[in-house]
Amino acid sequence: MAEEFNTESMLDMFLYESGQLLEKLEGIILEKQDADCFDDADINEIFRVMHTIKGSSGVLMYENITKVTHKLEDVFYYLRESHPDDVPHMELVEKVLAVSDFVTGELDKLKNGDTPDGDEKQLVEDLDEFLGRLKGEITKQGIQMPQANKHVEPTQFYITPVAGDDSHFYRISIHYRSDTQMSNLRAYSATYALKEVAEDLLYTPDDILSNEASADVIVAEGFHMLLQTKSSKEDVIALIDSSEAEEINFDELSKEEYGRALGEFGREEVEPAAAAPVAAKDENNGNNKEAKKEGPKPGDYVVKTKEAGKGKTLAKNQPKQQSIISVNVEKMDALMDLIGELVIAEAVVLQNPDLKVPGLELSNFQKASGQLSKITTELQEVIMSMRMMPLTNTFQKMRRIVFDVSRKLGKDIELEVVGENTEVDKNIIEHITDPLMHLVRNSVDHGIEEDPADRTAVGKPSKGKITLEAKNEGGKVYISVKDDGKGLNKEKLYQKALDKGLIENKPINEFTDKEIFRFITLPGFSTKEEVTEYSGRGVGMDVVVKNIQSISGRLDISSVEFEGSEMTLVIPLTLAIINGIVVQVGNSPFVIETASIKEFVRVGEDSLISEPSGEEYIVLRGECYPFIRLNERYDLPDSNDKIEEGIIVVLEHEGSQVCVLIDKLLQEQEIVVKPIPSYVRKVKGLSGCTQLGDGSIALILDIAGLLMHDGERR
Amino acid sequence: MAEELLKKEEMGESEELLEEDDSQKGMFMTFQTGKEFFGISISYVNEIIAMQPIAAIPEVEDYVKGLINLRGKIIPVIDVRVRFKMEPCEYTDRTCIIVIDVKSTMIGLIVERLADVDTIAEDSIAPPPSLGRKEHEHNKYVYGLARTGDRVTLLLDPEKLIKQDDIVTAMEEVRKEEQA
Repeated sequence: MAEEFNTESMLDMFLYESGQLLEKLEGIILEKQDADCFDDADINEIFRVMHTIKGSSGVLMYENITKVTHKLEDVFYYLRESHPDDVPHMELVEKVLAVSDFVTGELDKLKNGDTPDGDEKQLVEDLDEFLGRLKGEITKQGIQMPQANKHVEPTQFYITPVAGDDSHFYRISIHYRSDTQMSNLRAYSATYALKEVAEDLLYTPDDILSNEASADVIVAEGFHMLLQTKSSKEDVIALIDSSEAEEINFDELSKEEYGRALGEFGREEVEPAAAAPVAAKDENNGNNKEAKKEGPKPGDYVVKTKEAGKGKTLAKNQPKQQSIISVNVEKMDALMDLIGELVIAEAVVLQNPDLKVPGLELSNFQKASGQLSKITTELQEVIMSMRMMPLTNTFQKMRRIVFDVSRKLGKDIELEVVGENTEVDKNIIEHITDPLMHLVRNSVDHGIEEDPADRTAVGKPSKGKITLEAKNEGGKVYISVKDDGKGLNKEKLYQKALDKGLIENKPINEFTDKEIFRFITLPGFSTKEEVTEYSGRGVGMDVVVKNIQSISGRLDISSVEFEGSEMTLVIPLTLAIINGIVVQVGNSPFVIETASIKEFVRVGEDSLISEPSGEEYIVLRGECYPFIRLNERYDLPDSNDKIEEGIIVVLEHEGSQVCVLIDKLLQEQEIVVKPIPSYVRKVKGLSGCTQLGDGSIALILDIAGLLMHDGERR
Repeated sequence: MAEELLKKEEMGESEELLEEDDSQKGMFMTFQTGKEFFGISISYVNEIIAMQPIAAIPEVEDYVKGLINLRGKIIPVIDVRVRFKMEPCEYTDRTCIIVIDVKSTMIGLIVERLADVDTIAEDSIAPPPSLGRKEHEHNKYVYGLARTGDRVTLLLDPEKLIKQDDIVTAMEEVRKEEQA
């Protein structure tokens, strides 16, 4: 049986579950970072997280993870049991984050197929020392110390749960079909589901996760649970996954019966379990052949406790969690591609030339095709919405950065997060995490004043504030990082850019505010005098801008000196589908993103100014624009050269404009963006390609690239 | 018992794999360009499609003809004749595209006309005569000559064929040789 265990899927499950738990853990920690201490619920939760990771990493024999989590579990066990008063909260937070980082690092290694070989010794020593100190303080104060937790399974101590008047008591026995695979994992999932509503839960066999042989025991004898909860019988039944289960016995007990049943489960208060799993199994095997449905034997239990009353609030969240499944992104991408194909195939069918034969009676066909179009459109919308993810996780990372950096720099900073539920395409989230991280670091490091006195002097509270906000407006997502720090000093920026020779030498008043702020995004610009660990190498902002541009977004900067600055990322909702206008030059179709088109005009030869160098400009309403002939730029045959016969498209990108000559406009449509195969050398001014309705391929113009090209040519 | 079974299964599987490899070994898709015949090991060939409209890409090498839409997959196509520095020819209804998959890069080769699928025994493949002549750069992608029946087939190495930098290096080599 054990050999057939699929470690791969167990590893996946372990990675996924541990990842989720760590995220939850970090959420708790950061939420409570400013509080004086963790409350009981948090301590229990952290304890449970550590216990679960410890257990499952133990099964998979990742010893360093097991050791570290075990140590932290000990610490929290101690906190839970003896409620010491003077816990250095900040230090504790740091310890938990250190452990969480360590485990995350190891999990990453596992994900990449490496062995988790991080050295846990230092961390374990630190935790030991910390725990020792905690205990030491208490002894000095003369409070009695609980028994040191040297046992491997600290959860096996029992803490009396508070039974409210409205608590119900149940005995649940699940018998699985004899051919059920991995019944121990099924049983575990049942306990996991019940834990959320349970005030108290006992089950046997107790070693379902750590002992694979327990699967046999469960199949043979059934899986027995004792549950104390506030939820009704129906709710509890609904929580238990009944697939593969042959029989579920569900008895409601009175409080007294429950007490007796506890005895059957062999529980005595505050006593470590002496259960040796193998011995218990043998014992059970013997007994249960005679009396199969009798209660489990003493010593065969494990205890999970939870504060009374908390179960109820969690129960409400339960359905939401269960309604989410995780899907491999590759599968989603494949589905997305297929749907794109479907849309094109649909166009091929519905606009088939065979239908254009005169005299055909097509009314039924039209009706059916109308229905088909409706469904495909809807399908497209659904798949798009499936790819959307809230920014919650990204923002959580930012919390962590603010926490880390502000503590290292000794700044007192509060982070406000607004609109973290804003949804963005998954691909885009991946692209904005790094830039956003940089912006947040910059705000903490450079934005907020070093000396709180500088803040109070200008009438601001001494505590700095950073606001992270996301909103969705008009098909674009705005993510802004706002600080109430010292703001940008225009003269300083100007002087610096001038000194470094990054800008043309013209007086400061010829630059607009926006232009001056944009200096900080120039390569090689850094206003901070000295380089710090977090920022200030001067390579940051231009990289940020480049990354943002690569997903066709932009960075807006606004700032008022002494009041703070605001950096806003404006990014498209999705990369995959854009609104575009299809134009034709020569025989080739091109797509231009609708959002970057300012206008279409037709002008005469007299608006054209030619320089002797071959440079051309178009004058429109007194303004002079650079002019690009697409056919010359890309050497396209069979196109028209006469400016009166073509159409001028005025394009805008980040404030600069350019006129482009094309032959004719074809249509406006939603296009599915596909990358140009990497085999083909990257061409400046082209950002991708797409299929048109007839299956032919059009290239997508990249305005930023066109402009850059133009600049270089000069 | 179970282990034994497992072992057997594994062996069976690998044998099958070998057989599959074997069945493709020595088989070459041959095509004709001008008077010469070329062959590509059939294990690289994904499929053969009829000529279709190609979207040209500006500013790329002359032999990269553009992109085609292969059932939703966009793949680049190169003209084998131009790649061999021959005069390009008109595309006719005999012209077709061999879609090859080299290290998971899908590329279409435009060829004048398909000839056949030939089995060529390994011992009938001779290395190309390497004289320091001008054809040196061509020989880069020809790794062997095979005589089948009354004609000679030049066997192509697709990995070198699609590489973009090899022309430069080949030229450099020629230059070096000249200098030496």
